Amino acid sequence: MSKFSSLRFASRRGFLLSGCAAGGVGLAAVLARFRKRTPAENAFANDLTTFSKLDPKLLQYDQTAKFKPARPETRRIGLSGNGSLLLAAGNYVSTLDVSGVLLRELALPETVRCVASAADGTLFVGLRDRIEVFAENGRRSSWVSPGKRSWFTGLAAGDNDLFVADAGERVVLRFDRTGKFVGKIGEKDPSRHRPGFVVPSPYFDVELHQDGLLRVTNPGRHQIETYTVDGELEQAWGRASAAIDAFCGCCNPINIALFSDGRVVTCEKGVPRVKVYQAAGQLESVVAGPESFLENSTASHRDDSVGGLDAVVDRTGRIFVLDLVANTVALFEKKNS
Amino acid sequence: MQTNGPASNPINRRNFLRGGARVAAMTGLGTLVGLLARRASAQTHVWQIDPAKCLHCDQCATACVLKQSAVKCVHGFARCGYCQLCTAYFIPDAQELTTGAENQICPTAAIQRKFVEDPYFQYTIDEPLCIGCAKCVDGCNRFGNGSLFLQIRHDRCLNCNDCSIARVCPGGAFQRVPVQDPYIFKTGGH
Repeated sequence: MSKFSSLRFASRRGFLLSGCAAGGVGLAAVLARFRKRTPAENAFANDLTTFSKLDPKLLQYDQTAKFKPARPETRRIGLSGNGSLLLAAGNYVSTLDVSGVLLRELALPETVRCVASAADGTLFVGLRDRIEVFAENGRRSSWVSPGKRSWFTGLAAGDNDLFVADAGERVVLRFDRTGKFVGKIGEKDPSRHRPGFVVPSPYFDVELHQDGLLRVTNPGRHQIETYTVDGELEQAWGRASAAIDAFCGCCNPINIALFSDGRVVTCEKGVPRVKVYQAAGQLESVVAGPESFLENSTASHRDDSVGGLDAVVDRTGRIFVLDLVANTVALFEKKNS
Repeated sequence: MQTNGPASNPINRRNFLRGGARVAAMTGLGTLVGLLARRASAQTHVWQIDPAKCLHCDQCATACVLKQSAVKCVHGFARCGYCQLCTAYFIPDAQELTTGAENQICPTAAIQRKFVEDPYFQYTIDEPLCIGCAKCVDGCNRFGNGSLFLQIRHDRCLNCNDCSIARVCPGGAFQRVPVQDPYIFKTGGH
């Protein structure tokens, strides 16, 4: 017997086993080379997981229902006088009951960017730079913006006025109910030490409370501001930070909703979260954090597509949250209520 | 005996013209072959990143065959919000909104911050410092308008036939574009 007979290569079985092993190693090397890594392995990851964790004590709301609207690209959510939901979705305004059943639809010639309803049932629909008004008696009118760069993003209807958040002009426009332009609120005026609104991206919201005062977001300054309908600044609160009691990112909050007692629901993008603040600006509770909006958490603004969150509060204090990325509406109710 | 004198091989008009025509034909043929060969070897397409598909991973920084990647961050100023708190410039929990290194998100300090007017700041990419890691791109896209995005700079790119970044790009954002139109810009403001 030769001296090689003791080696594994000398037998056919040993030779084949060694060949298979070598082939396996080679195949693994090739696969490893072509393997696509997951973002979790990113050596330069912009890690925001720390800010996604919430104190369970602050989470005082439960999600009790969720539905997907029939139309895609839902941008804003509103509440009609009779308590049904209004959704601005694509070129449509959809009216749904609170369980998500479609009641009626209204088609518009271009993208609907915001919607509001007055107590008398008049429906206001914001397009890019004009308002389409649908009265209860079926009469329709159109109000054009006085600004050249208008980009309407929010509406608030009162008994005598309509207030329009104009992200392009960075002011709130005031119209009377006949469509006559009354004036601008929050306009930059160095002579009166008015810094103006800072609106870096097309997210700018206005709400009218039953106390007769306007609440307006100032996202670039990370604040909520209170104005009289004549434009006098009454109050401002909010600060920039990734901390839970502040507003994160470059420009938040993006949208707000009001409780009847003056508390404010705020919606943030980037790290998507919905919170409730007391009227003076102290954080009261968290409605939902990033774990409730997983798709939204990873979305980015690749073009003019929609993103972020919006909310409305109904008469009983329930909060409907619209996830613009997942295109879902979720109902949140206070725990043990 | 015959001699090789001028009389036996005269340069007459016919021979001269025949030789000239032969040289001209050969030169023309060579030029034609050269032009065809040049056209065949010229680049008609180059690699580029589609910003709409980019997932802001680190592969552009690490997978390029060049020691410093040919991929750089570029800035579409028309889309920029000129934010005071720019999430492409500052780390998420920055203690101060200053240019201190400890506040910056960029690992190579490749973004320059310049005051414009209260409360607006302009951000410019210092390309020689940029390594294409997309950390700023992620910050801008996550919170802001997405005015920062990655592009392959063709003064650096070797235009490898089998691009090593394209091979591992998780978003499939690498594509061949005509050499006459070598960049894919995000256009328009908001």
